[in-house]
Amino acid sequence: MAEAESTRQMIDVPEEALTPREIRLERAAVVLRWGAIVNGVLVGLLLVAGLLGGLRVFPDLFTNLQGLLLGRAVLAGDASLAVVIFLTLVDISLLLVLMVGVLAREIWTLPAIWLVAAVNGLAAALLGFLPALITIAAAAGCWVVIMRDMSAFRVNPVMLKELRGRMRGVRAFIVLTIYLGLMSAFTILLYLVFTTSTIQATGSSAVGAIGRVLFGGLVGIELLLIIFIAPAFTAGAITGERERQTYDLLRTTLLASPSFVIGKLESALGFILLLLFSAIPLQSIAFLFGGVTELELVLSFVILAVTAVTLGTVGIFFSAITPRTLSASVRSYTVALAVTFGIPIILSFPLFNAFVSAASGFGSGVSSSPLVETIFIYLGLILVSLNPVATSLVSQQLLAEKQAIGLWTVTLTSDGSTIPLVSPWISFSVFYLVIATILIVLAVREMRKVEA
Amino acid sequence: MSLIIETRDLVKRYGKFTAVNELSLEVPAGSIYGFVGPNGAGKTTTMRMLTTLTRPTAGQAWVAGHSVTEEPRAVRRAIGYMPDEFGVYDDMRVWEYLDFFAACYDIPENERKRLIDDLLELVDLTHRREDMVDKLSRGMKQRLSLARTLAHDPLVLILDEPASGLDPRARVEIRELLVELAKMGKTIFFSSHILADVAEICTHIGIVEAGEMVIQGSMDDMRAQLTPHREIIVTVRDQETAERVKSLVALMADVLDVLILEPKAGRSRVQINFAGDDDGVAAINQKLSAEGILVMGFTEETKDLESMFMRVTKGIVT
Repeated sequence: MAEAESTRQMIDVPEEALTPREIRLERAAVVLRWGAIVNGVLVGLLLVAGLLGGLRVFPDLFTNLQGLLLGRAVLAGDASLAVVIFLTLVDISLLLVLMVGVLAREIWTLPAIWLVAAVNGLAAALLGFLPALITIAAAAGCWVVIMRDMSAFRVNPVMLKELRGRMRGVRAFIVLTIYLGLMSAFTILLYLVFTTSTIQATGSSAVGAIGRVLFGGLVGIELLLIIFIAPAFTAGAITGERERQTYDLLRTTLLASPSFVIGKLESALGFILLLLFSAIPLQSIAFLFGGVTELELVLSFVILAVTAVTLGTVGIFFSAITPRTLSASVRSYTVALAVTFGIPIILSFPLFNAFVSAASGFGSGVSSSPLVETIFIYLGLILVSLNPVATSLVSQQLLAEKQAIGLWTVTLTSDGSTIPLVSPWISFSVFYLVIATILIVLAVREMRKVEA
Repeated sequence: MSLIIETRDLVKRYGKFTAVNELSLEVPAGSIYGFVGPNGAGKTTTMRMLTTLTRPTAGQAWVAGHSVTEEPRAVRRAIGYMPDEFGVYDDMRVWEYLDFFAACYDIPENERKRLIDDLLELVDLTHRREDMVDKLSRGMKQRLSLARTLAHDPLVLILDEPASGLDPRARVEIRELLVELAKMGKTIFFSSHILADVAEICTHIGIVEAGEMVIQGSMDDMRAQLTPHREIIVTVRDQETAERVKSLVALMADVLDVLILEPKAGRSRVQINFAGDDDGVAAINQKLSAEGILVMGFTEETKDLESMFMRVTKGIVT
């Protein structure tokens, strides 16, 4: 039986006629998807514009574009172009998340649609961010479509079921206690080691430094925790149901595949978020010593949450395409470890050095031509954005040294001109959320297949 | 009578192995249909095709008028499916189990509580409402499973071996429950390899063997079709008397065949295959006594489903 199951062939099935409610949801999703596509086209055009502007084909291009797209921001022309591109990318990922939410009939989608529209409205009002109108239009169009059937949106039954099981009895309480106990012990250890060594070495203790070390250590531990917990929670999402022989039961119900996938993801993330939130008081100890800003706390939280979402979807994706929980776990861990520990090894190559030295203001190692230097720096940014550890470190460094939370610039050593960059946490979040959405779509597609 | 499940030349192949071969099923609405066959006859595969879990290699199948290949969701709305294995979620209470599946069937939250109470009452599990699902006995799990299949008020229940692995008492309870559900207007299509389960409650029966339908129809038709004659066994003292019985009876009306059986416990037996009615049976008895033959036993064998089954599947079972 086990053999037969693993060699079971799966095939795509033709879509059947949808119910009026499904047609409506599908239509709403299409509106959001088109919003994302139009934004994507805009990004493509802006990149071309950036290239042309950079090559001085049209001297006034940047200024004109800034006047058009980001009229109210007080920024240089090229910098504002970068801001527009990244804001648009953020909008794309938001629209994709909303699209998945609508298809899965999640109740949080309703306020989220308003929130996305409101944030974009704010960006348009404060920065004169014109492309916000695309996203606002998509959100409004989506709202008009789903307005007629609000009862389609509900609390996800799979999430409810999973959380009921997970939080039952004393187990969750014990897990949380052990987790916090270990974290506290780690904090104390870190404090003792650091104070002893610095006091011995320098004779005095730099209070701010203690705060930074404690904070960094805790975030590092949490990241490690997420890398190990997120795939573990989700790698059994579909295979586990198969092994418990409940998968067939679910498939004969009317539960849609997106709802199933999202429900599993939500329940896993719910617990991870609980762990993260419960550790915030510990992280706050760092504030007693100073040296850490609230902004860093928020940033670290965003990076951890985004990592959890993406690694969670990695687990679900492998759970959908492999027959056994064990193999799904192995593959998820392989990807998670490769992304978190493998990429830093690649980063030690020249690309990264060029980027980091640019980021830390020591001048780039590559100084042949401005174009090559620019390409290297951007590639470096992309590579850093692939990895949560590098992202955290560089983002924090930028925050500490350049007070750059979003946008920053690099002066090229070759010709002294400046190029605009964003802080890696933004590109990291956009990149990871897009990957998460793609993986969810692939997992849903895999689930819709029927045994041939 | 309208058909609620219909298949036409349904075929399912796994590589070179043919699990279901040109199977044509006809399940009338409102019937209790017993789908009988030995293990490996293709019962589960057929059910998986009817429940849209597996696509047929060839042929057509409709449930409640919807094609299983083209309108799977409409089919799912119409059926309640209970697989032969009971899928257990650990860490789940009885009511939560039902609540979850009701939610999967899109039943609004404010209606679910009443529905769960009704379902638990129907399957007599109200007192176990707060218990953990995996702590229930097998019979109770099976009843809970049945309650789950009813959550969305389906037209047809497709139950795979609902009584297998149950103790006799639990088996009776399930059987009574099925009869009750049939009274509520549900069509029940269930499989079994135990004929006794089927014989008592079914209105219709289909016997499947090596992926092929051997015979199907209503129970009354089946009995008539498979037992066109009665079998009377006359027990006499010795072989000589038996010969006399044979010669006497063979000439009588409606007697198809007379056989002398092997003597048992020192007594000779004669088997009379008789196509007549009750009066005819009495006439044979009368005739024998009138001729002065000492009849030690005169019995009419009742044909049960088991022997029907043996007869029908003779030679096919491998």
